[in-house]
Amino acid sequence: MIEQYTIATTPKYNFPQPTTNTTLPQRLIEQSIHSLKHAQNQPFQLNQQIFQQTNNIETQALQLKLQPIPLQSKHEETIVAAVDTSSMKIGETATGTLIAVRGANVWKQNRNYRYIRLGPFIFHITEENKKEVYNTLQTAYFNTQHEHNHHSPPNLQQMPTRIASLLERWLQTTLTKTINNGLILFDGSLTTGTADTPTSLMKEILEAARKRRNIVLAFSKMTNLRFNGHLITDILLEHKPPYLLETVGLKTKPPIVLLGDIYVARLTKGNYAFRLDIDKQVTPEQKIEAVEKLLGNDLLSQSYPETLRLAHILCTFTANEVIAMQHFTAQAYKLKIINRPDMHRLLFGPFGKGENNA
Amino acid sequence: MKLYKKEGNIIQILSFPNETVEKGDYLLIEDADAGKALIAQVIDVQFASIPGILEELLRSLPDGGELIQGEDFDPLEIAPHITYIQDASLLICKIRATVENESLSPSSSWLPSRSQSTIKKLPIPTLIKLAKIDGKLPIILGGTKDSSLLTIDALSLDGRLNIITGKKETGKSHLSKLLMLNLIGYKATVVVFDLNGEYLSLGMTTDGKRNAYHDKIHVLTPSQNFKVALKQLNLHVLLEILIHALHLPGTSAREFRRIWQSLKERDMLNMHELGEAIRNWHCNQHVRDALFSRYYALVNSCFFTDNIAEATFLEECVFKAKEHGGAIIINLRNTSPIDRQIVVEYLLAKFVELLTSSRLKAIFLFAEEAHLYLRETYWDDIVTRMRHFGIFTTFITNQPDTVRENIYRQADNIFLFNFTNEHDLEVVSRAARVDAETVKSIARDLPPHYCLGLGRVVKDFPMVIKVKALDVKTMGETRLFFKDTN
Repeated sequence: MIEQYTIATTPKYNFPQPTTNTTLPQRLIEQSIHSLKHAQNQPFQLNQQIFQQTNNIETQALQLKLQPIPLQSKHEETIVAAVDTSSMKIGETATGTLIAVRGANVWKQNRNYRYIRLGPFIFHITEENKKEVYNTLQTAYFNTQHEHNHHSPPNLQQMPTRIASLLERWLQTTLTKTINNGLILFDGSLTTGTADTPTSLMKEILEAARKRRNIVLAFSKMTNLRFNGHLITDILLEHKPPYLLETVGLKTKPPIVLLGDIYVARLTKGNYAFRLDIDKQVTPEQKIEAVEKLLGNDLLSQSYPETLRLAHILCTFTANEVIAMQHFTAQAYKLKIINRPDMHRLLFGPFGKGENNA
Repeated sequence: MKLYKKEGNIIQILSFPNETVEKGDYLLIEDADAGKALIAQVIDVQFASIPGILEELLRSLPDGGELIQGEDFDPLEIAPHITYIQDASLLICKIRATVENESLSPSSSWLPSRSQSTIKKLPIPTLIKLAKIDGKLPIILGGTKDSSLLTIDALSLDGRLNIITGKKETGKSHLSKLLMLNLIGYKATVVVFDLNGEYLSLGMTTDGKRNAYHDKIHVLTPSQNFKVALKQLNLHVLLEILIHALHLPGTSAREFRRIWQSLKERDMLNMHELGEAIRNWHCNQHVRDALFSRYYALVNSCFFTDNIAEATFLEECVFKAKEHGGAIIINLRNTSPIDRQIVVEYLLAKFVELLTSSRLKAIFLFAEEAHLYLRETYWDDIVTRMRHFGIFTTFITNQPDTVRENIYRQADNIFLFNFTNEHDLEVVSRAARVDAETVKSIARDLPPHYCLGLGRVVKDFPMVIKVKALDVKTMGETRLFFKDTN
């Protein structure tokens, strides 16, 4: 399918067709504004240690085939797209937390990178509204009931990542239903069955991708998987990169499901390797070919694809943006900024390293 | 605007994009609870150090240095807030005074409340009123940054040492003419050492007609309408000329003194008799040769005459100027360096004589590029000794390092035009009434015809002034070869 436009043109962006619920951003805006309005004129506490959250669940041991699978760059023109989201707690109010989420889709086409970035969406989450906000977004997006509902509602600390996950799934769906014959890069793994990654939803996403002959490659920056006591990404063979190492025998307990085959990808020179999950349902040859096409169509630095790096960079919140969001909430919703004293600092002086480093 | 930091007499203020503040502006930091306010001047405007700004800039250029193409769906419109924060600036301000009960004091020993203080721009007219800069004898120098008129008091120039400096073609001579004409207007006697003939036509308007100053401008051109007779001179004046301008050795000077005494006793002090006396004087041949060479230098300058009638114009002009106010322009344009020194030595001695004998009240001396005619030892003399006699000097130069450091230290007023050279600014910043940061920061950015007024004239509130235009034929323009092409 060389020289075929894999993204159908629309005035704005190739949002999914009507079968997919495209109203999520609208719902995000509604929920965002609705939640903020209820926080109007409340004092809020600046978050004393801003942190970004990622999620990764891995428990089982595995076998690593030490025979590397050598890779050759395939320059057959293929669109490479990537998704990432960020979430951040930007402050506290007397009754809840102010959080911000943002997501980005980046794709490389005709040697140019392009992006669409959604957000930031700011939410005021309280114990009272957290279920409503989350369920409204979930229902607006999923349409069908997923196993999400079996999980207890997320606590306040989890809400930033949970809302960001909803946005991420939606962005992933958008890509899988828009691109043809492409490579879709996810941040993280294809392990499902957690509150953030419902299996049925992930299955739908992968199936949608396969229907359009896309292959999903999920890169994990961190992994807990070990072989012979070593992290699988620390095992570096003498073999000249690029190559893959295949893992086998990883078993999971329900509800955890592995939707991808797990590899260790060392794609460039240097001591960097990543866990790479590739959709189980595609043939081994297609898997290898997908990675080879990635080598031929995207820039790779430190074994990491540039498209995914850009997605991450574009959605990450900088300190400047955090200040701007605090400024926005203070201006638009008259939230009074109050600095609640850090009790660790207060009690222990220079020996108190802050609440988050206690 | 928000008060951010204070270190010594430097205050840092955070300013947002909708607040337009520039270098040179004055701010009033009011602490209502303390009942006091600080007057601070912005001496530099910097970007505020916003956390994460580097990441923000790097993120916008990840694609090989070109902007990455994309769309932002920003429903809450946070982007304007981001740019608002990004464009915040930090104003580096110098505390100039404290206002308490409508009176000013130079104190900066108190600290206004960071959270409660209000900060606003202080309009220059308000500051002028507060500091009482305009006095009984107003001189309109020009406009200020906020387009109001800046008026100084002529009294702040009286008895003062002034320096006008800046790089070429920034308007120094223009300002000196403005000051000069205004002083004449108040009946002052002004003397100008005009090196380039720039002041000769001050009595004419730009279109060549006579102006109000026409009768008050007296141009004296040495060896033409300005000559002196030996009888009018004191021995010490001529000796100063011979020793300092013509480098006469000490032994020969002693013989000259004897010749002079002899001629004076016989009432034969004239150039002809002086030549004869040297010829017939019993002395060493080398001494005679030395005296002869200096004698012919004096003769060749054509500045000395034996005709007393020819040698009265200076005094006439001085007394006219004394009566009605006026300027005596000493045209040194076509005068050789040695003749220039002879003329200046003579004039300074003459003025001291007139002032000590109370025949003159005081004179305002405007000296352009004084290093070209003023001998080393005269600098201190002018700013210390002669000031007490009533010679109030204004030095005008584009080479600030030619004016000695002690002159800067004693300067009462400095009018500083643009300088970009660090070294030049360093020299000027040695002035006692100036702080180096203000000079270096503001002077560098001054456009042509704008000057930074420092010192007594602005009551130590440095002000950027756009010098007003003059309807006089200035003749200060450089002659150009390609004038028609331009």
